Amino acid sequence: MKYYLKLGIILLIIAATASGILAYINNFTRPIIDKNREEQKAQARKEVLPQAATFDSIMTLNSENVYRGKNDEGKTIGYTMVAALYGYSSNVKTMVGLNSDLQINKIKVIDQKETPGLGANCEQDAFQKQFMGFFLDSLKVDKDGGKIESITGATITSRAVTNSIEKGILTLEKSLSVGKEESIK
Amino acid sequence: MNIFKEFTKGLVKENPVFVMALGLCPTLAVTTSVENAIGMGLAATFVLVMSNIIISLIKNFIPNKIRIPSYIVVIASFVTIVDMVMEAYVPALHKNLGLFIPLIVVNCIILGRAEAFAGKNNVVSSIFDGFGMGFGFTLALIVIGGIREILGVGEFLGFPLLSENYKPILVAILAPGAFLVMGLLMGLMNLAKKKEE
Amino acid sequence: MDFIAKIFAMAIAAIFVQNFVLARFLGLCPYIGVSKKLDSALGMGMAVIFVMTMASTFTWLIQTYLLIPLKLEFLQTIAFILTIASLVQLVEMVIQKIAPALYKALGVFLPLITTNCAVLGVAILNINENYNFIEAILNGLFAGLGFTLVLVLMAGIRERLERAELPHSMKGMPIAMIVAGSMALAFLGFSGLKI
Repeated sequence: MKYYLKLGIILLIIAATASGILAYINNFTRPIIDKNREEQKAQARKEVLPQAATFDSIMTLNSENVYRGKNDEGKTIGYTMVAALYGYSSNVKTMVGLNSDLQINKIKVIDQKETPGLGANCEQDAFQKQFMGFFLDSLKVDKDGGKIESITGATITSRAVTNSIEKGILTLEKSLSVGKEESIK
Repeated sequence: MNIFKEFTKGLVKENPVFVMALGLCPTLAVTTSVENAIGMGLAATFVLVMSNIIISLIKNFIPNKIRIPSYIVVIASFVTIVDMVMEAYVPALHKNLGLFIPLIVVNCIILGRAEAFAGKNNVVSSIFDGFGMGFGFTLALIVIGGIREILGVGEFLGFPLLSENYKPILVAILAPGAFLVMGLLMGLMNLAKKKEE
Repeated sequence: MDFIAKIFAMAIAAIFVQNFVLARFLGLCPYIGVSKKLDSALGMGMAVIFVMTMASTFTWLIQTYLLIPLKLEFLQTIAFILTIASLVQLVEMVIQKIAPALYKALGVFLPLITTNCAVLGVAILNINENYNFIEAILNGLFAGLGFTLVLVLMAGIRERLERAELPHSMKGMPIAMIVAGSMALAFLGFSGLKI
């Protein structure tokens, strides 16, 4: 009995020491990790809506904040949101920058694990640039009768990006029009 | 020199991947590029050296019955440290390696060295053993990652190596490519060994 | 109905599309090591299914009711690997007492499972994917089934390979890798499959 007690105590000491050290390092790294994540998103927002000086969060979509971007004079010049849909083998997340009349300013794919060399090419500029200037009504890939040229061999990924943006804009449009009515009241 | 031998044996003669076929999961999973291969190799080397040090230091205080659980706690702690530090300072690499960082815990190389070497030898030779095995592992990852990156993307460490007309053999960086490259490499190693004899 | 459809989609994903061995590279050591004979492959597969389901259950409970409320998420790796190790020990003891015949069949494989990265892998994936309790258990079960499927397929092929004429240096591990590569290539056909 005494022997087993000794075993337990030794294991406990090892585990407690380990947890103590880990807690200390966690305290040290956690703020850096959180800061990195926030900075990365802030940078992506800045990239898709460079004209905006300040961003304030107005709602959530796909469990990410939707931001309203304002210029130096406090005038609303656009919105940023994270569009997300399941593509070929992963969830494809895209940061979308919109002008105040919901025209696409710029998009940036921020998270995907699609097939390297095929679907993963959705991160390339050639694909992302096409979206500039599009409005909601013409937003479809070529296979679905739209004007977005899909990536060779990766229609499903292209469709996921395109449709996720379409869905996002629709949701944003709906909640904005509700917001307007409220502000009239 | 004895200590020197502890170091070099891991590189070639007892190479953990090619000769002992240990740690296959990370070897195949993260070698889609040389950069990932180096990141994974160094992370595992750190865990290997640190846990070898601690285990060779505390081995006399640990009763035989709880040897394995104690080793696992030591190894898991260093893995968690690597995980947290990498996420803080090299987030992009951390994201690429993903699940395979916490899984260093169950990498047979590390528990294997703790059990076969660090639990029986002094600190200094355990350190050299850890570095040797760690670098042997890293070396193997770089070789496989290099072949896959060159064939599959036409680049090495992100630098274009082959002419622009090269049509990448995409399958090399997909899952099947990992198995095929590994199988052919192992076959070549066997062939080379037979020639030597 | 929705629930059943979701479960079905999960099963297809875990067994075929994102097969643990061939697409995610988890559990390769037993996949190559225990696939020489069909009956030992089956035994190993059963043991893995069992432990993976149990591990998914317990690690999910520990994460949700212990680590998160206490803000100890950084201890996840240690907590999970210790849970799996003790679970394997416990299962071994229980089976030995209750079903000696089953123990005789599975006994040798159980200790090997602690270091099978597929088990720890599924436990961590359940948390990363935000599965709820039922989904986590089922994911463990399906992942185990997927593992067993490819293990048994592999063993069947390797039993025949024994009698094939091969270049000497390709015998054993190298040809097993090539076979695994061909299987992975076949399984690649499942990816993109959506239900």
